[in-house]
Formats: sequence, C-alpha cells, structure tokens
Amino acid sequence: MTQTIQDTDHLQPNDLSAFIDGELSAADARDVQQHLETCHRCALRVVTMTQLKAATARAGERFAPSPDALARLAAQLRPQAPKQSQQTARVIPLRPSFRPIAAWAALAAAILLAISLIGWREVRRSNALAAELLDQHLATLSSGSTPQVISTDRHTVKPWFQGRLPFSFNLPEPDALPPDTTLRGANLVYLEGQPAALLIFSIHRHEASVFLTPRTSSFTISSQSTRSGFTVRSTTAAELRLMAVSDVNPTELNALVTALAKVQ
Amino acid sequence: MVHAQTLADPVLQVEHRTRYSEAHNTMQTPTFEQLALPLLPSLYSHAFWLSRNHAEAEDLVQETISKSLRAFDSFQSGTNFKAWIFRILRNTFLTSRTGIAASRTVFLEDHLDLLETSDDSPTPEDHLIRLDNQAAVNEALDQLQPPLREVLLLCDVEEMKYKDIALVLDVPIGTVMSRLARARRALLQLLQTQLRKTL
Repeated sequence: MTQTIQDTDHLQPNDLSAFIDGELSAADARDVQQHLETCHRCALRVVTMTQLKAATARAGERFAPSPDALARLAAQLRPQAPKQSQQTARVIPLRPSFRPIAAWAALAAAILLAISLIGWREVRRSNALAAELLDQHLATLSSGSTPQVISTDRHTVKPWFQGRLPFSFNLPEPDALPPDTTLRGANLVYLEGQPAALLIFSIHRHEASVFLTPRTSSFTISSQSTRSGFTVRSTTAAELRLMAVSDVNPTELNALVTALAKVQ
Repeated sequence: MVHAQTLADPVLQVEHRTRYSEAHNTMQTPTFEQLALPLLPSLYSHAFWLSRNHAEAEDLVQETISKSLRAFDSFQSGTNFKAWIFRILRNTFLTSRTGIAASRTVFLEDHLDLLETSDDSPTPEDHLIRLDNQAAVNEALDQLQPPLREVLLLCDVEEMKYKDIALVLDVPIGTVMSRLARARRALLQLLQTQLRKTL
C-alpha cells in the first residue's frame, strides 16, 4: 500500500477511504499526511470525504426503536426471566395482587431501562455533535475556503443572516470583545440538519468558530470538552445556544463566549 | 525483599487481597445480557436498514437475540461481540422472506462486482455538493444500492473496524476496503445527480 501512495501523484480511492477511517498503518498514515501538506487537491478530497462520513453517520442514525420495542427486546435478553415469574406466581397463589405488582415492577424496570438507553444514546449524540462542530471548524480553516460574508463589521454580518435564519442574535461592539479578538466573517451552516449561524473570529493568530442555534434545538453537548486538541465550549444565553471550537487556550475561548453571551 | 515486607504487614495483606479479588471480579466474563443490552438500539437500527420495515426490524432483532443466546457458548470471550452478533443479524435477515427476495435482486454478491462505478474519488465538482444539506444526504443514502449501503452503515454509523466488518460480511478485508471506497463514490454521484436536478 505504501507503494501506491508513493508511486502516484495523488491518493488512491482505497487509501483515501482507509485514511479517513483511521485504518492505515502508522507509516502509511504518515506518508498520506506528508502528501496532504503539499497537495491542495487531495487535502480538499480528504475534507469532502470527512464531511461525507459525518453526514452518512447522521443519515444512518435516523431509525431508533420506539421505547416499547426497546423494552420488549430488553425483556427478551434474560432467558430465565419469564420462567421465574411463572414459578413465583404458582408458589404464591393466595396473593392475587402479586401479579399486578410484578407487572408494574416490570414496567418500571422497562421504563428505567429505556431512560438509561436514551441517556446512553444522548452521550453518543453529544460526541457526534462535537465531532460535527470540529469538522465544520476544520472546513473553515482549510485553505481556499472563504466565509460567505467576509466582514469585521457587525452591522454587515448581522443583517446578512436576516431571512436566512429562523432566529436572530446580537453582536457586541468591537471594543467589547476580549483583547486581540476580531470578527472575520460568517457562514450559514447546518448542524444535525438545522440551520445555524457560524461566526469566525481570530484570537491572536488562532481561529475560533462560534455556532449559534436556538436554545430550543435538541442538541446535547457537554459545556466544556476537548476533541483532538481543540476546545469545545457550549453555553446558553437568552434564547440562544452558543457553541465554540478553537485551538486557542480555553481561558481566551471562554472570554469570547462570555462576551457574546452578555449581549444576547 | 520489599515485596516480602509489604506482604508481612497484616493491614497491607488485607488490602492486597481486596485488590486481588477486585481485579479478579472485573476479569470475570460478562454475561450475554451485559454485552447485548447496549447494542439493542444499534441492532434495531441496522435491522431496519436491512428490512426497511419497523415490525420486521423488531422481529429480526428478536430472532437474532434468541439465536445468539443459544449460540453464546460458541462465542469466544475477548473477541468482538458486536461483530459476532451483527453477523448473526445479517444471516437472520438473509434467510428471512424479505432477505431471500432481496438477495434474488440486489443482495447477490456476484451482482455487486458488475455494478460499475467509476474508480476515481472526489472530483473538483464534488466540492460543489452541499454536504451540509442533511436532507439530500438522507435521500442519497436511501437510494444507494443495499450492499454498498450496508458496508457504509457498518463503518460510519456502527463505527466498526475493517476487520470486524470483514467478519460480519464474511469477505476479505481488501474487499471491505474497496467496497467502502466504491460506496462513498456512489454516494457522491447520487448527490451530484440530485444537485443537477435542482439546478
């Protein structure tokens, strides 16, 4: 495989797929990375394929079982369970109220189980969302991508979103932003299929992406986490949810998020 | 020497024993229930993608559970349980009525090699595709040929490693790799076709 990477100018489709799936050997992955540093075309292909992979994951997760179905399936996991309850019922025939109690207990257990599975699903979704935020952030970093609105002027950026978003937000005066933090531009993006405003800031020489969505959207994400060396910060302010991604130090990212939250 | 001293101390001895038994407990093989419970949503979702029907998806998972419970003795602990049970799910589907009907048309492996998709990966036009348009991606995944969709779901949704996918599909790893590349190419082509229609 190493040979194919070195012998040809561009990444082979199989290697490209294996690279974004993290299935290449360390040596092969290093070769690919070296190639990507100099080849804009292949770097763009990697970004496209990474976005496609994330979008496929979301599309594939559409069909969840109903809580009822989940409870029925979970009940089936214990082969002895039905036998045991029959035996107990036979042993205590003089207490007819036992059956309803057992039924209620089983129902309660099923509900608890469904809730815990939903919780587990939420954790997984929260990871998926953090990955999506990071993908979007990396896409804005990639050379050749320009924001849909390029402006440092809040009076240009904010009106641009009118009619594009089903909600509105405020931007602080430039001097209300933390030191050496500048608005660079903005994009309209989709998170889990819902429109969101993406504001691009530079803090010193780092880029920061701030995503704004309505607070009511069903996103689940922890307030602060790190992913592949990037800080992901999330908070709510007024009717909005703010989520920020950057490789700048977490304190400065917090300062930016706080400044934005204050004016909502 | 140090070790002997440590064990001579009665308090530390107790601690040592507690630690040992704790370690021993965690090394116990997990039960079928412990292994299968967290996978129920995944199994159901994958069964739905195979059968495209909610009632049938539940039946398929029910049958998969009872088959794998019976065969659990043959499962080697330490190997990948998810791949093992997904393989049983897949075989259950292929022998179901829908599965037999499907294999006559689209699921036949021989057919797959005849499905021609050009070999090159994303072209410059592909970057025009709005991958942030989730509805478009959903539609494209619905239209993808089932064998290509299957491998993509195992990789991108179930996040399985190639070697585990190879186990589920019962094909060599090389085939998993090329099928995935082809599936992604086909998905991009479907998205491109959609884009041309809307323009």
